[in-house]
Amino acid sequence: MTYEANNISLSVSGRSILKEISLCITPGKFTAVVGPNGAGKSSFVKIMSNEIAHYAGDVRVNGKNISSYRPKELSRIRSVMTQHPQVQFAFNVREIISFGRHAHDTTSGHNASVIEEVVDATNLHAFVDRNYLTLSGGEKQRVQLARTLAQVWEETLYPRYILLDEPTSSMDIAQQQQMFGIIRGICSRNIGVLAIVHDLNLAAQFSDEICMINNGRIQNVGSVEEVFTKENIEETFCCKVNIYRDPCTNCPFVVPTNENVLYNMSITK
Amino acid sequence: MVTSIVLRQYKTITILVVLGLSLLFVTLFSLTVGAVSIPFSDAVVILCKSFGLFNDITIDDTFTVVMTSIRLPRVVMTLLIGAALGISGAALQGLFRNPLVEPSLIGVSGGSAAAVVVLIVFGSAVLPSVALWSYSVMLSLAAFAGGSAITFFVLKLSMDSGRTNMAALILIGVAVNALTGAIIGVAIFYANEQQMSMFLFWTLGDLGGATWDKLRIAAPALILSTVGLCFFAKPLNVLALGEAEAYHMGVHVEQTKRLMIFMAAAAVAVSVSLAGIIGFVGLIVPHLIRTIFYVDNTLVLPASALGGAFLLIIADIIARVVVAPAELPIGVVTALIGSPFFIMLLLKSKRKLQL
Repeated sequence: MTYEANNISLSVSGRSILKEISLCITPGKFTAVVGPNGAGKSSFVKIMSNEIAHYAGDVRVNGKNISSYRPKELSRIRSVMTQHPQVQFAFNVREIISFGRHAHDTTSGHNASVIEEVVDATNLHAFVDRNYLTLSGGEKQRVQLARTLAQVWEETLYPRYILLDEPTSSMDIAQQQQMFGIIRGICSRNIGVLAIVHDLNLAAQFSDEICMINNGRIQNVGSVEEVFTKENIEETFCCKVNIYRDPCTNCPFVVPTNENVLYNMSITK
Repeated sequence: MVTSIVLRQYKTITILVVLGLSLLFVTLFSLTVGAVSIPFSDAVVILCKSFGLFNDITIDDTFTVVMTSIRLPRVVMTLLIGAALGISGAALQGLFRNPLVEPSLIGVSGGSAAAVVVLIVFGSAVLPSVALWSYSVMLSLAAFAGGSAITFFVLKLSMDSGRTNMAALILIGVAVNALTGAIIGVAIFYANEQQMSMFLFWTLGDLGGATWDKLRIAAPALILSTVGLCFFAKPLNVLALGEAEAYHMGVHVEQTKRLMIFMAAAAVAVSVSLAGIIGFVGLIVPHLIRTIFYVDNTLVLPASALGGAFLLIIADIIARVVVAPAELPIGVVTALIGSPFFIMLLLKSKRKLQL
């Protein structure tokens, strides 16, 4: 039982956005999608979540084609956090998190206890009664993540999945670490995670598998060690980098070299 | 946390009960005022008598006739139209995720008015010998047909590969409203004085034409769409996060949108066919509910229905009393009391506003 994309291609107005992408999200694993801006990462996640329907290839969730699921049925298996959803009315944080329970025909008492557990896990106690519209960008992302988690929180017999589009882009480093820690931890509940991550070091620190996309194609896919080589990153991002190792965890971390700065400065002169 | 959710449910029920009781009170009061003033106690007794209670108490026959054949149908119609307009406004604002939307935006009111004015001005040439009663039924039917046809047309045009494009819907609604305005303008250009005064009724609204016969046809449609819309509170809440997000959370977005727009359009078209265009109720009532209480649609939808009925009953009392024995057009009264109140409220809560 996996969440898999087979030979996905997408063209919009004759322009090719994605070319023959195949990827498999496995329950219990964290897969990060990395790549430069405009590489097609968000389009790929939109196809994976069935938000875009006109594409070639197929997406199968637990062995069944994604388009054959009814919306409620699908949303009990996978939840999605899009980039910066715009909320129009002044809902409070608890209400926003409770929307994640919409597809579940569980009692309001059960839903309330799930929301409580999620609020505990994401450390949102100080915010639950606040107006969502008054929160900062990072706080809003934490609330959206809590809402996403509430949707697939309980243990079930079938594997569940979470798709995240840059879930921590507005957060400070402490919150990023905390949130990625939570996401990493939830994998152990038979949940597969696919996340678009811009920060390569966060991806290296938390992922089991990295999928590097460039120009609508998968450039490399594999473990952090296999994908995060100097050559791969320099070729994909067109940026000179050095790769160091964390002395404690031996995890690679990527630092752009000074050459880029000197080169860019020479252009502006 | 569990208790706070239960508390919220109690709060919603309490607010709805209080609104319902206030509505009941103003409705009873509205039955007593007018050209013939009926004592409050007599009004209550006449009402109870129609349910088979207090049959031994005798009441002045004039009161009974005025109540049962003039006041009651008018008040029932006012309640139903107010509720339908209030909840349609709330539903469309939620659906379009825009607090400025009101039912006329998708062309319902314009379509109804255009159909009516065309029938008034040019219909006499085609249908010269229609009796007066069937003429008024025909005008109502034309209003309903015009409103529904325009809504259907706007919806059809705003479809983009099987999905309703909300931005296109609003823009096409604006364009179609301009078109119906132009049609009305052309018709008015050819109209004589008598036709002009007939048309005034449709553009400014009039609750005076209420009869049990009209209500028998219209009430089921108004009640069904008002009650039906209440069932969409939860998906409408989730839709506040956006259509894609709502789909990810398990809402059948297209089906929900179409059903809600259909019911709101039916409610408004039937209302226009009964009482002409009554503006402002659909815009301000949901706004008031959200500002005074909270934005959860399990409250906003039913409370907008109750609040819409409340506002329209009050407006109707004013319309009947201020220039008695004549009457002010109801649309004028809703705008006159609604707009200053609305501006005052907006000024108070300016910081909370976001588009």
